[in-house]
Amino acid sequence: MTLKKKRIIIGKIGLDSHDNGIRIVSKWLMDSGYEVIYAGLYNTPERIIQMAVQEDVDAIGVSFLGGEHLFYADKLITLLRKKEMGDVKLIIGGVIPPTDVDELKKCGVDAVFTPGTMRETIIRTINDLFADQIS
Amino acid sequence: MNKKPIGSTYLEGERVPHFRSLSDFEYREIYDQSDWHGELPAPGVYPFTRGIHKDMYRGRLWTRRQQSGFGTPEESNERIKFLLKVGQTGVNMDVDIATKSGLDPDYPLAQGDVGLQGTSLCTYEDMKALYKDIPLDQVSSTLIIQPPYSAIIMAHYLLLARESGIPWERLVGTIMNCALTQYVGPTFQANTSFFPIDQAIKIGLDVMEYMLSCSPRWNIININGYNIRETGVNAIQEAAFSLSLAADYIKGLIKRGLDVDSFAQRMAFFSAAHIDLFEEVAKLRAMRRIWARMLKEKFGARNEKSLWFRTAIQTSALPLTAQQPLNNIVRAAIQTLAAVLAGTQSIHTTGYDEAYSLPTEESQKLSIRTQQIIGYETRVVNAVDPLGGSYLVESLTDEIEEKVWELMKVIEDRGGFVQCFKDGWVEEQINEARYKFAQATDTGEQPVVGVNIFRDEEEDIKINIFRHSFDMQTKRIQYIQSYRKNRNQESVKKALDTLYKLIRRQTEKNMVEPIMEAVSAKATLQEICDAMRQAADFVIPS
Repeated sequence: MTLKKKRIIIGKIGLDSHDNGIRIVSKWLMDSGYEVIYAGLYNTPERIIQMAVQEDVDAIGVSFLGGEHLFYADKLITLLRKKEMGDVKLIIGGVIPPTDVDELKKCGVDAVFTPGTMRETIIRTINDLFADQIS
Repeated sequence: MNKKPIGSTYLEGERVPHFRSLSDFEYREIYDQSDWHGELPAPGVYPFTRGIHKDMYRGRLWTRRQQSGFGTPEESNERIKFLLKVGQTGVNMDVDIATKSGLDPDYPLAQGDVGLQGTSLCTYEDMKALYKDIPLDQVSSTLIIQPPYSAIIMAHYLLLARESGIPWERLVGTIMNCALTQYVGPTFQANTSFFPIDQAIKIGLDVMEYMLSCSPRWNIININGYNIRETGVNAIQEAAFSLSLAADYIKGLIKRGLDVDSFAQRMAFFSAAHIDLFEEVAKLRAMRRIWARMLKEKFGARNEKSLWFRTAIQTSALPLTAQQPLNNIVRAAIQTLAAVLAGTQSIHTTGYDEAYSLPTEESQKLSIRTQQIIGYETRVVNAVDPLGGSYLVESLTDEIEEKVWELMKVIEDRGGFVQCFKDGWVEEQINEARYKFAQATDTGEQPVVGVNIFRDEEEDIKINIFRHSFDMQTKRIQYIQSYRKNRNQESVKKALDTLYKLIRRQTEKNMVEPIMEAVSAKATLQEICDAMRQAADFVIPS
């Protein structure tokens, strides 16, 4: 890792309250040296972006278990572009069909984690997103 | 990846990593008289260890009750009719998360979730569309909705029965109606963000009391132990949390002056069948015993039916995997078998596509066929409680019963389950359990085929995946907006004002009828909820 801990905001957007995954991944990230800003449930894309700016995060991690992923990913990406936050990584997890995983990545999502992804894979993939920034 | 790899070389032979149960009981190598030598009362005899009925599935099979609901009420109506056609024997109506949060489809925070995890249902006309061509006196329906929204959906259902000329006494079914477990188990933020929790419990009790007075065959509450379990807690916690919560509701109804025998037989449970077969069977047998003893000894019930622990089962989705999804068919079949061997009243077999989307028609049909194969072909239904008397199952039943009582005592000493929930104690237990569960999969301590053992590295998923119709959300938003425009605004306002004033005055009056008035006046789900929220000075996330 770098000298400065990488900061990630983790939360859910919309009404889906399945928070098992974000709770577990938050803990795994903290155990691996990341600083996690836990945003909890019922956020809007605007609020997540606003918090991301305020907290000066390096990445945003959100999860969707009810099929809302394309609807909200689109909004997040638009906002990130508008605010010129291209260096903030966008990570999405949850119940996401394979074709949508490709779709999300094509739209600019940096990493997608579906159910059963092992801890090691998640941490390695996220570490790799910052590989070029490691001194 | 596997820190404790499973020994699988040809020379050593293949061994599992340990012999503990999913809830951390150590299975012994062999069970004999030294483990269990108790008495075993017959099925249908107190404390009902062997089942609540003397003849069990010889008398009638369990109800096949697959949850269904997505998109518009019209789409869900088609799916319900499909399920009934392929052999489903009860309706299990699930609403979307917006409806479960008391929000109309055009509320900004709700728009992305409309119709996704259930059907969008916010007006009386929606309920009519959902049950089109399904006579309410010919099916038993489970309505998956919690208070205070349960009062509104129940009002829709009762009004529909009235309009169809069906007396309420003839309705058969269940309203889930539990204020603490319906979202995703008893997690704090989800259950406290859209309505004040005490008011929600109060309105839940109103619904129970109201249904007891007018619809004697209706089940007034289903304690959702399934959702409790799906957070990652173990079998002991699932049982103890569910039964402790039930005790709180019983106390609430007794406090209203109701006799325990007037309502206990209308209370039921919704439990999980996880993947540890014997432990799940033992859990359900233990829960039957605890319920019977609690009702008789603690609450003084005299009617035998009050002592019957009745439960619906859903096969747990936690052991199901996105990897090698066809494996889930096998898992769900074994879990369904566990539910049958435990003597449950109804079953939802979870679809193999659970880790990808809502179930397709194909997947739901397979779930029903799974149950039919177990019911009609395997002969496991021929004898009542076929595992009864097994040293292992009986000793595990005793052990689980003891542990559940212990945990229930802890909860009672802390003021009951509702209090523990409000204090954040439940949240702590859940968080601890879900980390532990995730850790167990991560380390390989809990082997999961296709995930931490026997993986296919370059897997290409080939199953069909359910897709929502593309304009469904827009349609629902347009529908509700035009609904609000085309009605008599004066009568809506009047009904909502009445509701507001009643809540404002903190009256003890039962709210079901005022809510029914508002529904009849064409107030929408969210309008009714907002009137009550404003009266309680409660602000929801926007």
